[in-house]
Amino acid sequence: MKNFSNKYIFIYITVLVIIVAVLLALASITLQPRQNENRKIESYTQILMAAGYSGNEISGRSVIKTYQQVADSVLTDNNLLVIKVKTEDGSHNYIIPLRGKGLWGPVWGYIAVAADGNTIAGAVFAHKGETPGLGAEIANPQFSDEFKGKQLFDENGEFVSIRVVKGGVANSNINPLHGVDAITGGTVTSNGVDKMLKDCLGRYKEFLKKLRQ
Amino acid sequence: MNIKKYLGPLSKDNPILVQVLGVCSALAVTAQLKPAIVMAISVTAVAALGNLIISLLRNTIPPRIRIIVQLIIVAALVILTDQILQAWFYDISKMLSVFVGLIITNCILMGRIEAFALGNKPIPSFFDGLFNGLGYGLVLAVVGFVRELLASGSVWNHKIIPDSFYAHGYMNNGLVSLPPMALILIGLLVWIQRSGSKTEKI
Repeated sequence: MKNFSNKYIFIYITVLVIIVAVLLALASITLQPRQNENRKIESYTQILMAAGYSGNEISGRSVIKTYQQVADSVLTDNNLLVIKVKTEDGSHNYIIPLRGKGLWGPVWGYIAVAADGNTIAGAVFAHKGETPGLGAEIANPQFSDEFKGKQLFDENGEFVSIRVVKGGVANSNINPLHGVDAITGGTVTSNGVDKMLKDCLGRYKEFLKKLRQ
Repeated sequence: MNIKKYLGPLSKDNPILVQVLGVCSALAVTAQLKPAIVMAISVTAVAALGNLIISLLRNTIPPRIRIIVQLIIVAALVILTDQILQAWFYDISKMLSVFVGLIITNCILMGRIEAFALGNKPIPSFFDGLFNGLGYGLVLAVVGFVRELLASGSVWNHKIIPDSFYAHGYMNNGLVSLPPMALILIGLLVWIQRSGSKTEKI
């Protein structure tokens, strides 16, 4: 075995690390614009899907063009972000971003409230790493489609959010207008979505009330 | 060049089935076929290039810091792979999440570098890494195929099992989508592989 001096070892490792660092920095700088665009496309797609768009208009890169044509970011009186989207039939949906906790990591989504400030026009959910087949099913349209037509306010005009009900809405005492069925085997994720809806939508209560009038 | 001597990792010297390395990621990313294949390609690329680079440097690396040098090279390759996936295969990179980064800890890579690339010429080292990656990928593909088929009735996101099956009471098996079933599947593969090969019993 060859003998290497300490000086050689120090110089060797220093030079190696510098070369690797420069290469990685270059790669990161070159690829960053494309990565950011991917993230933008992802959230635009989710927002437009919640507003009821589908098919070609939101596939791949064309989503950016569609988004710029139909979506507008607005702030509520208490400085919360709402995305106002013109739907295909000419009315407006208000998209509220949701952020919450699942079982293994963050869950998030976008919920579209119709111009009456009460009826849900659509919803999209996503997650970082929920269990496939169980909690991960929240990203499935079968779950998010349940939200269509649900209402955020009860007959007395009180804010009730949308509950995610374990065991099914039909077997509970919750009005089917304000509840959806939870995911079987995904209790913690379902509870996370339930809490996320209550917390995030709750902050928009005043905005939604104003919209109702 | 005799290609035959590099084919060992595909069966009788398979990194997962015989050496039982890289099992962690094999359990985690095989719920569907597509991420499993992308993971296999990523590991194969990193293993082949890592072996090649280390083999090229092998006479200059001071033995006292060889593990550090190996780690730096492998880590750099893995970060590059992750960045490329995020830029060009965003959906899949989301599915693989942390497991791309964890390729660094995949024992197959460091094992092949330490056992082969440090003492062999660049071209044989490249092929050694390539076929070890492919042997790993083969198992991932089989497990991913079976799990996706049984757990969601589809292959590569295409529905395979017809609706009429479901109408007659067939149900997807949610258990298969969880890691424990992947372990059982790999166990079955080990069994099949051992009963077929004539390696000595331990």
